[in-house]
Formats: sequence, C-alpha cells, structure tokens
Amino acid sequence: MKRLSLFMAALSLVAGTLMLTGCAKKVKPGDVRGYDNGEQYISMWVHTIEDTPEGSAYKKSVESFNEKYNGKYFADIEFIPRNDSGGGYSDKINASVMSGDLPDVITVDGPNVSAYAANGIIQPLAALTDEEKSSYLESIIEQGTIDGKLYALGAMESSVGLYCNKAILKEAGIDIPDKDHPWTFSEFADILKKLKPIMDAKNGYPLDMTFPVGESSIYYYAPFIWSNGGDLISSDGLRVDGYFNSEENAEVFKYFRQLVENKYMSATPVEKLFESGRAAFKFDGAWEVNTVYQSYGDIDLGVAPYIVSDKWDGGKYTPTGSWAYAATSKTEHIEAATELVKWMSGVESGILLYENTKSLPSTYDAYDSITIFEEDANYKALYEQLRDYGHPRPKTPVYPQVSISFQQVLEDVGLSGRDVKDEMDKSVERINAKLKRYTR
Amino acid sequence: MKNKSNSILGMAFFGPALVLMTIFLFIPMILTLIYSFTDYFALNPKLTHFVWFENFSAIFKDDLFTTAFGNTVKFVLIIVPLQTLGALGLALLINRVTVCKRYFKVAFFIPVVMSLAVVSNLWMQIYSPEGILNTMLSNFGVEPQPFIYGASQALPSIAFMSVWQGVGYQMIIFLGGLQAINPALYEAAEMDHASSWSRFKDITLPELKPLCVFVFITVTIGAFRMIVQPMVMTGGGPSHSTYTIVYDIYETGTVNWEIGLASAMAIVFTVFVVILTIIQTVLTKDKEDRHEKKKAKDI
Repeated sequence: MKRLSLFMAALSLVAGTLMLTGCAKKVKPGDVRGYDNGEQYISMWVHTIEDTPEGSAYKKSVESFNEKYNGKYFADIEFIPRNDSGGGYSDKINASVMSGDLPDVITVDGPNVSAYAANGIIQPLAALTDEEKSSYLESIIEQGTIDGKLYALGAMESSVGLYCNKAILKEAGIDIPDKDHPWTFSEFADILKKLKPIMDAKNGYPLDMTFPVGESSIYYYAPFIWSNGGDLISSDGLRVDGYFNSEENAEVFKYFRQLVENKYMSATPVEKLFESGRAAFKFDGAWEVNTVYQSYGDIDLGVAPYIVSDKWDGGKYTPTGSWAYAATSKTEHIEAATELVKWMSGVESGILLYENTKSLPSTYDAYDSITIFEEDANYKALYEQLRDYGHPRPKTPVYPQVSISFQQVLEDVGLSGRDVKDEMDKSVERINAKLKRYTR
Repeated sequence: MKNKSNSILGMAFFGPALVLMTIFLFIPMILTLIYSFTDYFALNPKLTHFVWFENFSAIFKDDLFTTAFGNTVKFVLIIVPLQTLGALGLALLINRVTVCKRYFKVAFFIPVVMSLAVVSNLWMQIYSPEGILNTMLSNFGVEPQPFIYGASQALPSIAFMSVWQGVGYQMIIFLGGLQAINPALYEAAEMDHASSWSRFKDITLPELKPLCVFVFITVTIGAFRMIVQPMVMTGGGPSHSTYTIVYDIYETGTVNWEIGLASAMAIVFTVFVVILTIIQTVLTKDKEDRHEKKKAKDI
C-alpha cells in the first residue's frame, strides 16, 4: 500500500514537472509569422509590455528592421514586464543566465552594462565603422564601452534639468546664465538666500528637491561630485576607498546638508511644489518639460544649466544614461545581433521612440530631424547640456551597491545631519564587501 | 480492498497539490538551504562554490542586517498587541450592534481585500506633509508632522497603517468565535447577576482562547514578513528606520544578485520565526495543560 502511494506520488511529480517545464524550443522557419527560409533568426527581449507607447515603438522598429533585412535576418521581439525598480525583467534575465535560455539581444539599463559585461552575460558588439560610431552621442558610446570594448548602444538617452520658474526669478531680479557659464555652488547658495523670503511669502521653498530612495538620487546628484573633481569609484570600477570617501565628496554632501539646514528645501517631500508655483527651482528628468507644458501651462518654465562646483574645470558632469541594447554571450550570430542593436538604437528608432514617449534620442541625426530641439528653448538647453557635458554614471560591476550607498549617505548626512566621514566610510566598507567577488 | 481503492482515490486528489507544492515550495526550500552554503551569484552561476558558513558569519557582522532585524522586532512589538486587541475589540463591538451589522462587518473588512500596494499609496497621501492627517492636526494647532518622512515616526506610522489594513481579517475570525459561544452560558451568568466584565473575563475570553492563540501566532508571523509597506512608502528609509529583514533579503537577492547570501539570511530568518512559534505554542499549551490538571484536581 505504502509503495503504491509512493509510486503514485512519484508519477504525478514527474508528470507535473514535464507539464510545467515543457521542452526547450527551437524556432524553425514558418513557426513565427514573417520568419522565412534562409533568414537568420535573432531573438530579442525588451523590458516593457507591448501595450505601452514605449512597447509599441519597439514593435514598430522591429517590424521595419524585418522589412529592411527581409531574406537576410528575422528579429523576434518578446515583451517582458518589469516593475518600477526593474524587478521582473532582471529576474527573468538572471533565471535565464542559469538555464542558458538567453535570447540573442537584450535591453540593459545603462548602469548595469558593466556588471553584465564583467559577468559574461553580454559580449562586445561586432566592430562599428567610425562613421557609425560618430552618429551616436558621446555619452552613449561612453556608457556602452567597458575596457575599451563597445558592448551596448542606447535605445534612448536621458538628462536631468535644473528647471526654474522664470516669473519668480524675474521678480527677484535673477538672470539665467548660458550653458558654458553655469552658477557655481556658492553663487547658487546666494541666489537661494535671496529667494528665501520671496518663497516664504508664497508658502514655499526656493528649491523643490528630495533625496529619493532608488536610482534617482545618484542620477540627479552625482554631477555635484563630478564637477567638484570627485568620483565615486576608480576608473577600473574596482576600488572605492579614497574615491567614495574623498574630501571632495565630503564637501558636496555637506553642501546638501546646508540646503536642508537653511531651509532652502523642505526636509519632507511636498507634492507638486514646483508645479504649483511654490518653488523657484527643481531638479527633474527631461520628461518634466512635457509634463509642465501639458498640465501646468501657467508656469513660465526655463532650463538653467546644471550647477557646478566653484572648482569646476569645464569638464563633463551632467546626468545621462538609459536603457541600451546589447548582444548576449549566448548568441552565435554576433554580426546579425549587432545589426539589430544598431537598428534599434538608430536614427529612425530614436525618432519613433521620441514621438511615442518623448524620451531623448541617442543619435545626433535624430535630434537634427526633430524640430523641437531647435525651436523650443528648453528642449534645446537639455540637448546641448547632454551633448556637451554628459557624463555616464559610475561604471562598475557593483553599481547597485554604489547607487544605494550614495543615496544613503545623502539621506543620512543631508537630512539626518550625521557625520559625513563616518557615513562615507561605512559605505566604503559595504561596497568593498561586494567588490571582493571581482578582486580576489 | 476498499481501503486500497480509497488510498488510490486519496492520492489522486492529493497528488496534484503535492506536485505543485513540491515544485513551488519543497524544492525551493531545499535549494535555499543548499544555496545558503554557497556564494551563488545570479549573474555568474558558473563561479559558484561552497563557502560553508561564510555567509552566516557575514550576516551577523553586517550592521545593516542587525538594523533590519531590530526594525522588524519593533514592527512586531507594535503590530501584534494592537492588531490582536483591536480585532477583539471590534468583534465585541460589532457583536453588540444590532443596526447595520453587515455594513460594519464589510466596512472593517474592505482594507483586507485591497492590495497592500494600493493601501500603501493611499496612506502615503494621508501621511503626506500637506495631506489630510496634517490638515486635521493643524486645525487643532498641532505643527505638521513628518510621519513616514521622519526617521523617528516612519516605523510607527507604517505599523499603524498595517494594523488598520489587517485588523478586519482577525476581527472576522473573532466574530465567528463569539457567535459560536453557547448562549446558555451567558443566560446562566445573567441568572447569577454576573457583571458584564466578569461575563467577558470568565466566559468570552476562555471560550475564545484557542482562537486567540491562532490569531496571535498568525499576526506575529505576518508582522515578521513585513516588506510591501516600507518598500512602497519609504523604500526602507529614512536612514534605514523602516528597513526590514525580508526587505534586506529581497535587496540582497534581486538588486545585488547575491543569491547565496540572501538564502543564508532567509534561513536565519526562518529558524528565528520557527523558534519563536515553538516558544509561543509551548507557552500556551503549558497553560492549557495546567488548566486541565487543575480541573482534574478540583473534581
């Protein structure tokens, strides 16, 4: 009796396992609509669902790729949903790394390119001609290059603007400088001081600013570090002591503390402070321009150049980075995969994506053919800042920990007023623990 | 013969559940145990080797894990008494109400049905610096409070919200228990002119005791598993004041890709909860036994 029960259990277990796992599929011509004999099949995963404006832009780009390379290549796109923090999609990639089921091409968020390259998930693309390379913004090439090899090309680029309410600045008699002469930290502090009584009268703050948990903090505020001559990690991405906890960085964290102490910004986030006309400045992604134009028409919006340290030497420092395409190490058709990556990150795809989602393109030609980047002063300012001063986020395989640590120090020092040296050293220890894997 | 066919039938019913549980519960549990002794890194599984107890010693040295552990215990200490007593109180009240009884039952139960993410977002609005709660407080001349944005208030604020969200479920359980109490007991008490307090103390509470144990244990385990509310509302901040163990396990495993370390954390956490549950069970059982013995003696 016992034996029979065991047998039954084992049988149902096997049946269930087979049912659930299925067999690994090999796609043959004719299996997918449009995939014909003689074509090279390339599978691709993207990090969004099909029914979003972003997803439909990717779909159209793939369709035009298949049209252009009909008879030669066939790209098969699969949409994988992801949540805000990037889970879902990256879980699927992780699981597939283990099972060996990665597609030929995947999308990677810019800061993760380094970790994916260091762990052999993606491989360098086939060589691009100089002309092809030079069609991309420098920041895109920079983001995708690890140890001198190009791994990824951006589907889009991104930037953060220092937005200002021009009406308030006019009231205070403040002029916005041009992109090559940004306000320095001390000039900006003086401006905030001048604005403080005006904004108090409006029941607001000079700055609409927070140190949010997640990727935004390092994305928005690491430029303060770079323009001050600091860095978060060594250029090989493997050493952090002496970089993350440098004197330059301590100065920046203390500067943030002063913004809070002087009540130039609210210590607790206030909803729509800038949009309701109760803040003179706000740091936010490029999408904010469209948001203000669409929903807050009575704000007289301007984009000021990102502020710099008093020690700034004119080097690159402004925020960049976004999702990019890369070929996985699993693909045996690197030429075909590279063609697809080039197409998906190219001019036409960039324009399509801009039209659908208003995200910034990754190629010069795309900017030239979208008139708004010439006609609209705010979009133009964002583009020029990106083109001339764009700086990639730290390139290191332990990027997630660097990002988390940066936000924590910002919060602990800026908001809670803890000792900056202690907090930076604690972070160094934590990042070092993660680096062990790559340095031993 | 009949026994044999019964057994086959039983297995046929039980089999599918067993298969699913094996795939989604038992195998992952065993894998977690194995992974906890390795340095399994999600991005590079090929490099995995056994590190034995290295993960465990790393956990106990990590001050972030200690902070997360402390926060979780604080959550439990606030949530368990509030939610258990709150549920009992609500059940007693509703049991007495004669008008709109169903309305009250539904009203208190609705938050349980709502998704935790939705409830969290709703309470972010309530707790926001210019939200409804601060507006109400300002009418009484109270300064605006930071709530979830202040390191000292964030944890109690989230705990309170969690109690509000979960209390309806235990309320229904208690309500069921109350209605199952034999009315003859109360009638007898009335004849003896027992006060309402002694009726509650000597009839209601002893009758509800098995339910109380159940509610107590489930609420405790639920509170230990706290992750969604801090994740949505504060991201574990400000300054890690709402960072919980399960949140730490999640971040270690999915954000930093360190499956080995995260598995070890999960094992430590499980062992702790199991020990706690055993202690709770033993303590309550002991009392019952003593009760029984006392009864036997009295006879």
